[in-house]
Amino acid sequence: MTNATMRETERVQSSRFANSKGFATVGISTVLLFVFSALAAPTSVSPGAVLGMIPFAAVLAIVGLGQMLVVQQGGIDLSIPGAVSLAIVIVSHEPNGDNNRLFPAILLALGYAAAAGLLNGFMVGRLGLNSIIATLGTNALLYGVVLEISGGIPRSTTRLLASVAAGITFGIPNSAFFALGALAIVAALVKRTVAGRRFEAIGANPLAGRALGLRVRAHQTLAFVWAQLLYSLAGILLAGITNQPTAFQGDSYLLPSVAVVVLGGTSLLGGRGFPFATVIAAIFLSQLDQFVLSLGVPYAVRTLVQAGALAVGVAVYTVDWAVIRQRIRPGSRRAPFLA
Amino acid sequence: MKRRSKFTMLATTAIVISLAVAGCSNSSSGSSTPSGGATAPAGAPSWCGPKKITLGLLDGFGGNSWRLVTTAAGADEVKKCSSVTKYEYADGQGDTQKAISDIQGMVAKGVNALVVFPDAGQAMLPALRSAYKAGVVTVPYRVFPGGKDGVDYTAWIGADFTTDGKNWGNWIKTNLPDGGNILFISGPKGNSQATDELKGLKSVLTDSKYKYIGETPEVTNWDPALTQQVLTTDIAKYPKIDVIVSDFGPSLVGALPAFAKGGRSIPSLVTSDGNSLGCFFADNKAANPDFKLMTVATGNDNVRLAVQYAVAKATGGKVPSDKVFKAPAFEDSVSGTPSQVQCEKNLPGDIYLSAQMSPTDQAALLKK
Repeated sequence: MTNATMRETERVQSSRFANSKGFATVGISTVLLFVFSALAAPTSVSPGAVLGMIPFAAVLAIVGLGQMLVVQQGGIDLSIPGAVSLAIVIVSHEPNGDNNRLFPAILLALGYAAAAGLLNGFMVGRLGLNSIIATLGTNALLYGVVLEISGGIPRSTTRLLASVAAGITFGIPNSAFFALGALAIVAALVKRTVAGRRFEAIGANPLAGRALGLRVRAHQTLAFVWAQLLYSLAGILLAGITNQPTAFQGDSYLLPSVAVVVLGGTSLLGGRGFPFATVIAAIFLSQLDQFVLSLGVPYAVRTLVQAGALAVGVAVYTVDWAVIRQRIRPGSRRAPFLA
Repeated sequence: MKRRSKFTMLATTAIVISLAVAGCSNSSSGSSTPSGGATAPAGAPSWCGPKKITLGLLDGFGGNSWRLVTTAAGADEVKKCSSVTKYEYADGQGDTQKAISDIQGMVAKGVNALVVFPDAGQAMLPALRSAYKAGVVTVPYRVFPGGKDGVDYTAWIGADFTTDGKNWGNWIKTNLPDGGNILFISGPKGNSQATDELKGLKSVLTDSKYKYIGETPEVTNWDPALTQQVLTTDIAKYPKIDVIVSDFGPSLVGALPAFAKGGRSIPSLVTSDGNSLGCFFADNKAANPDFKLMTVATGNDNVRLAVQYAVAKATGGKVPSDKVFKAPAFEDSVSGTPSQVQCEKNLPGDIYLSAQMSPTDQAALLKK
């Protein structure tokens, strides 16, 4: 019994420790990665390569911010592939090359996103379903809509969207501004508003939140809605960046989205979110891709290095080393747990 | 007890189903010898014989505009022969299991001829063989499924990607007589198309002044996002790229502007055609002095030859002498032969002006 109480206090302390660790770890890793890139494969940090990397990092950052909101409520969102692909398909199929129809198409995409978010929120927040199951179902549903609209056949994006999403202003890719905008909005809402503070409090402990009279279910539902809107924004950008997207372009963002959230230091158990660290983690992962590509190793090695780096990164980061040290110390029998 | 009765039920169901399937396939091989002796329909092409048949066209993966146009081309070719009384289509949706059961389903339904795009390659061979053994004229096309003509299937109507490689190589030889750095971009790792293309390229460009840079071929999975990442990296890495060889031109449209970001001109590009690529060339050639474009036909009409072959075999028409589809050279911005680079600005980017089907018909397909 005493052991259990001790463990609780321990956890609170270690989570407070992990907060500062989150930003520092990912920040330092990213700087180190850039330094290492510059030494081992100088071309991977050349202006052209960095300009090519930023749009994809921006898309990943926006998707990661969405995932972070859901993770803050102790959930996980597996509907990202469907959500991103749906946004892509809507903004490329509906206008069918006509710039004038782009704006209504974007509104339509956001409308679908809000509906999907409400559905997820209803299932998880209201009905209390497990978020893995619920969002997996929603993903299938969204892909149904993708196939209904497109028949699985992609379309080129309109020239307007391509020039906005893939364009460059003041030497910086436009997509970066969108990502920074999303970051500013998410950070301000979560960290600087009353609703945002309530949102984090509920994520940290829904029961305590309810006891305080907070509207727990509404906040949980809204996490999914905001997340979907962010995925939709990411999808719209990606459609413009790739110009000729496939109907399944969102598939490759599911795992990285969770990875950037975890690397950013947000606990999968819910609670405090770290938007800045999440965005930096997105840059880290994208630069890692770029670096391995620049090394010029064969494709097989490339995939192995990426997988290995990800596994090591997440493991080093999530394992609570203090507990392990304690465990190794003779006389202690406590099992290590994941933060 | 309960478990056992469940098991018995399962077993019985399995037996009943397999009997039913066996019954169906028996009846199908019976019906594949219908009333012969009639004359070929008047005005029909020579490959269209007199025997009445049903034909099935099977796709392993129907999910892109190229396949959409190809499927429509296949259906169009079938229409030319009135001896084909019924035409069916099935899309494997990229799922090998479904593609196999599509074949079995068609055989069970009693089709006389099957034209199959065996995307999964070797994995499709047993299904093709069993269809062939059941007496169905089985014609896989484009992707090689392994096996042999007349043993595992009627005939494989392949695309000759080596010819594409040779066409590209010849163009490079003419336009870059002093040699240069070649960047070869293809799809998934180890795809047989790239292997053949490279063989063709190397058979023409024998001189060591032609240097291949990067992983040859660069792996992109034909995914536009990955293509863009790979190309961006290569542009940064290699200060001198003289010519890009790619077997899917339109997927480069999103990636080529990376040259401008690096402050360089887009180099020569030899690839396969697509309206979006043609229009991209028209829009960007002025700003990119080194940008020259040569394309080979992307091969939508490969399916036509496969259909002709299958119909001829099944209806008793004249079998085409060629069993290999050779994609002709299509556009050349330097010599203008066989054609200058074409762009239909008012039509969608996802159509193929090299295909037999008219551009407006293709655009109509995409509107659906």
